[in-house]
Amino acid sequence: MTADGERMVFLDGSRLIIEAMARAGVGAYIGYPITPVNWLFAGAKQRIPIALEAPDEITALQWSAGFSSSGVFPVTASAFPGFALMIESINMSFMMELPMVIILAQRLGPSTGSATTGGQGDLLLLRGCISGGYSIPVFCPSNLNDCWDMAAASVHTSVNLRTPVVLLTSKEMVMTNQNMNISSLREVQRAERHVFEGNGEYKTYGVNGNLAPPFLPLGNDLHQVRLNSSTHDMEGITQKNSPEALGNTERLKNKIEQRIDDYTFYDHDRAEDADTVILTYGISAEAAREAVGSLRSGGDSVSLLVMKTLLPVPPRIYELLDAYEHIVVVEENISGLLRELLFGNRQDGRVFGVNKIGNMITPQEIAEGVRQCRKPS
Amino acid sequence: MQETILNDLKMPYCPGCGHTVANKSMSKAIADMDVDPLDVIVVSDIGCTGLVDPLLTCHTIHGLHGRAVALAMGIRMGLEHPEKKIIALQGDGGATIGLQHLLEAARHNLDLTLVVQNNMVYGMTGGQTSGLSSTEFKEPERPESAVPGYDICALAHNAGAAYTARTFIGKDTSELWKEALSTSGFSLIEIVEMCPAYGLRKVQELHDTADYESVVTRNSRAVGMPHRATGRSLLDGLKPIERTCDAPLDGRLEIIVAGSAGEAIQSAGDLLSTAGITAGLSATKKGDYPITIGTGFSVAEVILSRDPIHYTGIDCPDIMIVISQDGLDKVQSRIGGHTLVIADEKLGTELGGSPGPLDPPDQSGPSNVVTGDFRKTGGPKGAALAAIAHWLQDNGFLPIEALIEAASRHKHGDKMKVIIDKAVAA
Repeated sequence: MTADGERMVFLDGSRLIIEAMARAGVGAYIGYPITPVNWLFAGAKQRIPIALEAPDEITALQWSAGFSSSGVFPVTASAFPGFALMIESINMSFMMELPMVIILAQRLGPSTGSATTGGQGDLLLLRGCISGGYSIPVFCPSNLNDCWDMAAASVHTSVNLRTPVVLLTSKEMVMTNQNMNISSLREVQRAERHVFEGNGEYKTYGVNGNLAPPFLPLGNDLHQVRLNSSTHDMEGITQKNSPEALGNTERLKNKIEQRIDDYTFYDHDRAEDADTVILTYGISAEAAREAVGSLRSGGDSVSLLVMKTLLPVPPRIYELLDAYEHIVVVEENISGLLRELLFGNRQDGRVFGVNKIGNMITPQEIAEGVRQCRKPS
Repeated sequence: MQETILNDLKMPYCPGCGHTVANKSMSKAIADMDVDPLDVIVVSDIGCTGLVDPLLTCHTIHGLHGRAVALAMGIRMGLEHPEKKIIALQGDGGATIGLQHLLEAARHNLDLTLVVQNNMVYGMTGGQTSGLSSTEFKEPERPESAVPGYDICALAHNAGAAYTARTFIGKDTSELWKEALSTSGFSLIEIVEMCPAYGLRKVQELHDTADYESVVTRNSRAVGMPHRATGRSLLDGLKPIERTCDAPLDGRLEIIVAGSAGEAIQSAGDLLSTAGITAGLSATKKGDYPITIGTGFSVAEVILSRDPIHYTGIDCPDIMIVISQDGLDKVQSRIGGHTLVIADEKLGTELGGSPGPLDPPDQSGPSNVVTGDFRKTGGPKGAALAAIAHWLQDNGFLPIEALIEAASRHKHGDKMKVIIDKAVAA
């Protein structure tokens, strides 16, 4: 009775994320155990060629940087408490231009909060985690298919832009089993670094008009490599604030922002004549999909926009939102992080939030939000 | 002529600083060993020691304060060229922040060399004492605050370092560098130096000031390197779930299975989900249990649906299967007016009593309660499965064949089949 070619299995998002990353070329997983990334770690032990326990999260990031600088693509995973420890080292890797993926599985905070309760409370932390306000690309899967696609996109974007990338997910995404026909998964290409070739002059941060410099590993036999976390010139020599060094730092901003169209991912389910759009991401997107279904079956024309590239905010998102009179922003926090990211601290009546903590937001609560947003204030 | 790893730039250090001498010794050692500069990677820390970075002709990586050893470990584990020499340079401040990294490198005995240039002071930031300052080294403003510094050579040795040495700065320390660089495994040299800006005024005072004497120690251990596995696909090993029958369920059914740790509650939830998929339904399952997974409650939330499932949460379930007091305590508040409760007999005997463990919050009682001696039928590890089988047999949401088919995929399938048969017969 099974359809031809169908391969129905029962699995979790962790398994898909690790498998997709392995196929994209991840060579090392370095983790410090923390709930809810337990299954990511377990999967990595089976799948990734090198899988190591670090003694703490700072070490995990430093080892990751070491692997990356020697040519091995590293991945680590944590929740807020561990991610907080990683931030200085993520800045280092950003400055050195070392590709790596950090999987951040959100759980209820603040602080240690509740390890086994989901949450969506870390978006603005990611927006501000690089000193100077520079963005690192942040991807966020909204369902099992996205776990696969966004995991692969994370690795590819990281390699192409030579930057750390965050895959932002949640306890509910990586620790829930669901049925899935895995024969429909897209093929994942291996991400290959753009390697410097030839015997000419090599400057570690020389870009020759490109946005990201070509790579050579530490220890190669042909050219000296100088990686540097401090403000540096194109050779990688520390500078206080020379024009060349400041130009190099500005390039770090530009390379992420100017290539945004290459890695803008979203689902826009537009209903004809809809004046209202539900805007969401991650685990709340699944409840929103269900809410949209029930609203439409009740005759209510409403659209859905699920962001999968969260940072830097893709300009395309604003273009899409411009078509709507009402924007209902759904996220599992009570501060409205996505709302603040997109619309600042002074939001007009066009923007309405559906928020809560401690449990997933339900489709009914989202539908009620859609009804409320249209009421005159 | 032997190549050195220092270029022609002037050393950036104050007159009399030990770092100048130490770096020249490093370069001399490399040259004497006839090692090509491109076979050397120097990992430098923040602080005065890191100022040598621009002067180096080898590969360089200049990172964060205190993390040079951890970074060096990552490089060593990533490189597939054991002949490359990796040197981490730190001051006493960096070694203090990164003490855990130092111990970790020694424990793993990775092949790299750490040189701690210990001038017993934070020279860049005003002359504060570090974790490696000695009791005799006084800050002028706080002479009473001195506590003994770490004996990092002893710490590293006890953690398993292949080679550790402490020496006092002199004209040339290159012989020690050569010894460290030729040692397989983790080697540490602590060079006790003087900072001309703070503290001592004469290098001759170093011996009288330091808490620890010169030392050389060795451990004979295997050199560490991470195991590289081939890795096997996480998808290829998943056995596809064939659809072999149909379920009459039309819509969505939310089920909670609750019991205690060790009662195979999660397995029962997986089995029920797999049975649903076998009968052509969509299924989701999530587990809830305390962080201490060996004790307390264990809850599995299962959703079966004719349509694809997006939202995976359950508030008030349609079906609640409860087989222990731990489970009941955890989920009792979620019983709704429409919930069918299937409870083990021991819990069910108190049904209808007031107050009883199955009293719902609204005091009106669940609309349906079914009890059975599921522990007797299935034993402690099979009670949840027995309750599921009993329920399916009674109401027909899923054909019992689907549960049997799901059980046949399990490593304990034969035992499960016996339990299902007994539950159905009961």
